[in-house]
Amino acid sequence: MIPELESFKMPILSLVTLTPALGALLLTLIDRNNKALIRQIALMVSFLGLLFSLIMVGNFDATVGTMQMEENLPWIESLGISYHLGVDGFSVLLILLTSFSMPFVFLSTWKAVDSRVKEFHIALLLLQTGMIGAFVALDLILFYLFYEAMLVPMYLIIGIWGGKDRVYAALKFFIYTMVGSLFMFLAILYLYNHAGTFDLPLLLERLRTTNPLDGTQQFWLFLAFALSFAIKVPLFPLHTWLPDAHVQAPTAGSVVLAGVLLKMGTYGLLRFAIPLFPEAAMDLREEFCWLAVTGIIFGACMALVQTDIKKLIAYSSVSHLGFVVLACFMNDVESLTGAILQMVNHGLSTGMLFLMIGIIYERRHTRELADYGGLAGVVPVYSVFFIIAVLSSIGLPGLNGFVGEFLILFGAFRADAVWGILAASGVVLGALYMLKMTKMFLFGPLVHDANRNVQDLQTREILYLSPFVIMMVWLGLYPSTFTKLVQPTLSLYVQMLQN
Amino acid sequence: MEPLTLSKAEILAVLPAGALFITGLIQLMSDLGDPNKTSRQEKTHLAMIGATGALVALASLFVQGTAASTGELYAGAMTDDLFGRLGAGVIIVTSLFCTLMAGGYLSSSGNNRAEFHALVSFSAGAMVLLCQSTNLVSMFVAIETLSLAVYVLAGFFRQQKAASEGAFKYFVMGAFSSGFLLLGMAIIYGLSGASLSFSDIAAAGASDDALFAVGALLVLIGFAFKVGVVPFHSWVPDVYQGAPTLAVGWMAVAVKASSFFALCRFLYHTGGGAYMDQILIALSIVTMILGNLAALNQQSLKRMLAYSGIAHSGYLMIPLIVALSGDDILIGASLPFYLCAYAGTTLAAFGVLTALSKATDKDQLGDLNGLAKSRPLLALGFTVALISLAGIPLTAGFIGKLMIFSDAIGAGFVQLAVIGILTSLVSVYYYLRPIVAMWFRDPRSSFDLIPAPWGVQFTVGACGIATIVFGIFPDWLIELSRISVETILG
Repeated sequence: MIPELESFKMPILSLVTLTPALGALLLTLIDRNNKALIRQIALMVSFLGLLFSLIMVGNFDATVGTMQMEENLPWIESLGISYHLGVDGFSVLLILLTSFSMPFVFLSTWKAVDSRVKEFHIALLLLQTGMIGAFVALDLILFYLFYEAMLVPMYLIIGIWGGKDRVYAALKFFIYTMVGSLFMFLAILYLYNHAGTFDLPLLLERLRTTNPLDGTQQFWLFLAFALSFAIKVPLFPLHTWLPDAHVQAPTAGSVVLAGVLLKMGTYGLLRFAIPLFPEAAMDLREEFCWLAVTGIIFGACMALVQTDIKKLIAYSSVSHLGFVVLACFMNDVESLTGAILQMVNHGLSTGMLFLMIGIIYERRHTRELADYGGLAGVVPVYSVFFIIAVLSSIGLPGLNGFVGEFLILFGAFRADAVWGILAASGVVLGALYMLKMTKMFLFGPLVHDANRNVQDLQTREILYLSPFVIMMVWLGLYPSTFTKLVQPTLSLYVQMLQN
Repeated sequence: MEPLTLSKAEILAVLPAGALFITGLIQLMSDLGDPNKTSRQEKTHLAMIGATGALVALASLFVQGTAASTGELYAGAMTDDLFGRLGAGVIIVTSLFCTLMAGGYLSSSGNNRAEFHALVSFSAGAMVLLCQSTNLVSMFVAIETLSLAVYVLAGFFRQQKAASEGAFKYFVMGAFSSGFLLLGMAIIYGLSGASLSFSDIAAAGASDDALFAVGALLVLIGFAFKVGVVPFHSWVPDVYQGAPTLAVGWMAVAVKASSFFALCRFLYHTGGGAYMDQILIALSIVTMILGNLAALNQQSLKRMLAYSGIAHSGYLMIPLIVALSGDDILIGASLPFYLCAYAGTTLAAFGVLTALSKATDKDQLGDLNGLAKSRPLLALGFTVALISLAGIPLTAGFIGKLMIFSDAIGAGFVQLAVIGILTSLVSVYYYLRPIVAMWFRDPRSSFDLIPAPWGVQFTVGACGIATIVFGIFPDWLIELSRISVETILG
C-alpha cells in the first residue's frame, strides 16, 4: 500500500479504462503522414495507462475480497443501465497484464506496420479500452458493450493488416465470437426481465434471495453464457477460429489476442457464468472438465505436428487454456489461484513468443519451421530470449509457468485422479512440442543460406522483451506478491459457492 | 348541415402537412412548361424552405399543444398527439435530408425536373397526415396519396427500362394491396355500426366479432404490402433495384415509418380482433427468417438493403405483438425508438449509395472496393450505419434491438427473441460484406474517386453521428417514445 494514495479520490478505474480511448481520439487529429508522432503518442498513452493501473494496484487493498474502487453512475436510466465499475482479485492482475503488455506491443509495431499507421494505432488503443473495460465492468450491458467493443478493432486489425487469408480469418473470428455473444445478450435480457436489474452485485444478491431461478432456467442461461465464453477461451471443440486468426493476424494482433483476449473467456466464466448460475455450473461440471482435458491433450497433439510456428503456438494456447478452464470448475482456492496465475503466465509467455516470432518474421518473412535451423549461432541474444520464453511456457520451476500449472494439477488430482493424470500428460506433451520446435528453430545445422545474415536483436527489441523476462522471473520466484492480491477474493468466492 | 368551423387546434394540426403540400404545388408551378426555368439550386432551396416550414409548424404544435392528445379533430378524422408528432418529425427530417441529397443526384443523372421535389413534398405531406389519422377514411386517403406520389417517384427515370418496370410492378402490387385494405375497412365499417374512427370502432365492441378478425386481417395485409412483410414482399427487391437510389431511400425510410405508425395506432385502438397476435407472430417469424436469409447472397447493394429492410419489418412487428398481448401498451414503446434508429441508419446507407450510383447506376458490392481509401469519411458513415443495422453496441440500432428483445422476453415471447437473435446473427454476415469491401479490399482502379457532394456528405455524417449519439445517450429518445405511445389512447 502506498500511504499517500490512500485518500486518492480520482475515478481511477475510469482513467485506466478510458485513457486509451481518449488517446485514440487524440490520434484522429494528427496528420496521417506524421507516422513517428502517431507512434510516439500511442506509446505515451499506453505508458500513461500503465501508470494509472500501477496506481490502481497501489490503492488495491489486498486484505479484502470484495469490490474496490467502485464507480457507480446512472447511465441509461430508462433502461436501468448503469456505469458501474469495480475491481477485485479476479480482475486486478488481468488489468495489470493488459496495461503492462500494451506499451511493448506498441513498441514492437514500429517497424512491422507501415501502412495506415494512424488507423492501426487507433484500433489498438480502442481494443485496449475494450479489454480493460470488460475486466472492470459490473453492469451486464456495460460488460457486453466492452466485450463487443473488443471485437470490431480486432476484426479490423486482422482484416486490414493481416496475412494472405486475412479476410477469411477475420470473418471467421467475427462470426464465431458473435454467435456466442448474441446468446449471452439474450441471456442477459432474460435475467433483466427476471430480476429487474443489469447490475451484477445486485443480480447475484437477488438471484440468491428474492428471485431464484429454477433448474431449467439456470441450465439454459448458464449454457448461453458459457457458450459465449467457451468460444472466446477457446474450449475444444470451439477452437477452430483461433489458429486461423493467429496465423493471419499481424504480430501485435497475435500478442493481444493470446495475451489478453483469450482470458476474457475464462474471466467471464469466473465472474459471470459460474457465480450467477452455480447449480447449473455444478451439474455441468463433469462435461466441461472433460472438454477442458480433451482440449489440453488435443491442443498439445495438434501443436506437435504443426510446421508453422504461429500455428504451433496457437494450438499450444488451446492446450494451456484448457488448464485454466479445468481449474475454473474446481471450487477451491488453490486451483482458482492457479487459474488466475496461469492466465497471467500464458499472457506473458505466449505474448513474448509471438513478439519474438514477429521479430524473426520481419527479417526472414517466413514462419515455416523448415526454413530455419541453426539460428543459435547467428543470433545468440535472440536465442537466449526465445529459450527463456519457451521454458516459461513449458513450466520450468523458477519461471512463472510452473506455479500456476502446479496448483491446477494439484487441484485436478484432488478432484479426480483421471483428470489429473490426463492434464499432467498435457504438461509432458507441452514440453515435447516446445522443445522439438526450439530444436528445429534454433539448433541443428545451418541449412539455409538466408539464415546466415539474420540480424540479432536491436536495442529497441531488447527493451521491450526484457520486461517480460523480468515479470517471468518475478512470478516464478516470488508468486506471493501476486497471489496475495487475489486470495481474499477467491476465499470469499469459494465460500459463496459452497452456500 | 352545420357550417364548418375550425378550432385553433384543428388549424394547427394540419399546418405541417399543409406546408408540405403547398411547397409541392409551388414547385410544380415554378417549373411549368420549361423544366429549366428555375435552376437546380432554386428548386432545392424551395424544397428546403418547405420542409423547414413544416418543421417550424411541427415545433409550434409542441409549443401550443400539450403532450397529451388534444382529442379528436375534424370529427374524429385526425388527432394531434405526441405519437403523431413524433412520426411527422421523422418524416419531415427525412424529407429534408432527401432534398439535400437530391440536387446533385438529379442533375448528374441529367434529370433536373422540379417534379421530384414536388412528389417528395406531396408524399411527405400525406405521410404526416397518415401518422395523425384516427379514422378509416382519412387513413386510406393518406395512404393512397402517398402511394401515388411514390409510384411516380419509383419510375422517375422513365427513360430507363428497369425503372419503368419496377414502377409498374410497384403500382400493380400497390393497387392490389389497396384493394385488400379497402375491403377490410368496408367489413369493419359494416360491423361497427357505421362508425369510422378507431375509438368508436373499439367502443362499439365490434372487435369481438369473428368477422372483425377478417376485416382487421385484410387491413393488416394492406399494410404488410406497404412495409414489405413476407409473404407480401416480392415487389420490394425489384422495385428497389430499378428505382432511382434516392427515391428508394425515401421509400425505405418514410413509407415504412409512416405505415408502421399508422398500423400501430390502428392496432392499439382496435386490438386487431381474435387471432391477430398469432397472425403477427407467424408473419414476424417468417419475415425475420426469410428477409435475412435472402439478403445473404445479394451482390447488389440495393437488393441487399431491400431484404434487410424486409427483415427489419419483421423485428418491428415484435413490439406490436407485445403490445397486443398485454394490458399495458407501454411495453410496445420500442417501436417508435426502433423506427427512429432505423430511419437514421437507412438514410446514411442510402446516402452512400446515392453518391455511388450518381453517374451510372452502380450498386454492386464490388463498387465499394477501397472506398475507405478514396472517401474515408463516407466509408466511416456507411460502416456506422451497417453496424447499427446489425445491432452492434454503441449504436442506436443496438439500443433498439435491446428494447425489442427485452420486451419480447418480458412478455413471455422468448421464442421470438431467440429467432430474432439468430437472424441478427445471420444479418451480421451480410452487413459485414460491404465493410470488408470498403476497408479490406483495394479499389478496382486508382482513379475511381466517386463524387460526393456536400449534401450527401452532410447527410451521411449527420445520420452517422446521430446513430452513435443515440447509441450512447438514448435516454431522451426512449422517454419520448414511451410518452408518445402513452398518448395513442389519450
